Amino acid sequence: MDTVPTSTGSPRKRPRVDAWQTCVALALVGAGVWPVELSAAEPKLLPPEQAFRFAARALDERTLEARFTIANGYYLYRDKLKFAVTEGVIANASLPPGKMKTDEFFGRVETYRGTVVVKLPLSAPISGRTLVLAADSQGCADAGVCYPPTQQKVTLELPAVGRGPGKLVDASPEKKNWFN
Amino acid sequence: MTRSSVVKWIVIASAAILALAAGSYFGVRTLQPKPAATRPATGLLGTTLPDVEGQPQRIEQWRGKVVVVNFWATWCAPCREEMPLFVRVQNEWGERGLQFVGIAVDQVEKVKPFARELELNYPILIGGFGAMELSRALGNTVMALPFTVIIDRQGNIAYEQLGVVKPETLRRTLETLL
Repeated sequence: MDTVPTSTGSPRKRPRVDAWQTCVALALVGAGVWPVELSAAEPKLLPPEQAFRFAARALDERTLEARFTIANGYYLYRDKLKFAVTEGVIANASLPPGKMKTDEFFGRVETYRGTVVVKLPLSAPISGRTLVLAADSQGCADAGVCYPPTQQKVTLELPAVGRGPGKLVDASPEKKNWFN
Repeated sequence: MTRSSVVKWIVIASAAILALAAGSYFGVRTLQPKPAATRPATGLLGTTLPDVEGQPQRIEQWRGKVVVVNFWATWCAPCREEMPLFVRVQNEWGERGLQFVGIAVDQVEKVKPFARELELNYPILIGGFGAMELSRALGNTVMALPFTVIIDRQGNIAYEQLGVVKPETLRRTLETLL
């Protein structure tokens, strides 16, 4: 429903002005209003259980596999990672090497980013039994905040001898919220 | 569509993308202080916590001053980073009625040597992990550290900040309140 220009001047002039106004308005919204709107709300930081997602599975009747999926821009301290089980004993948790970081206060510290997978061999097979694996972790965001030590738990059923690995179990089933 | 209008729309689209990118970058990456939606700090002022000597201290005792309450912990590197600034500002403006109070989300035996090392010139109260809940009630919904609130002389929360406080922001805010 275009209105026919009534002026005798070039009819092409008007849309050009409108386009540039739109452009300027968009730039203003982008540069000015948008960040203010965002920062007026809480800073966009993830809660620890989302920044450091924990999951685990049983590889066989005497081996667990723990997995942290660390969100981009976050890191975990290697020496703060601890595992415990309600059934049996973890024989020897060998944590993979992290990335060395020289901290002004803590000296040389090892940190993890991305995905960390840790094999947890149990001292004896406990096939067919159910156990709870608890993982303690502590980390920070590059944005300049740290989270208190957090414990996350998964319940795992160990497979019978000769059966394949179990399914990967998430510590906190993700709540479906399309607006987050 | 003529060629010139295609060019125009390309310009508009790129401007919009650039603007959105700039907006989300600055909006997300910087931990902005919350604008002063002034509300009473009753819960915080009414809180009593032990100091490093084990003596109970009620925050109310500093009412009438401008009180900067800083939630921190020894295991939090960014917290430790900003504390020398607090020592300096307390030194400079203490006489004008400024009082820093640290609430440690930590254990007293870890806090004590650290307080000595940094020559902290303001009281540290031992909050343990329970202090995270206290900070949540004040707006620290993500429950991360450091977290800082400033209470004005009337006992209202005038400022809150998750993450390290910028020196110029701190000084500017305090100038208006002192």
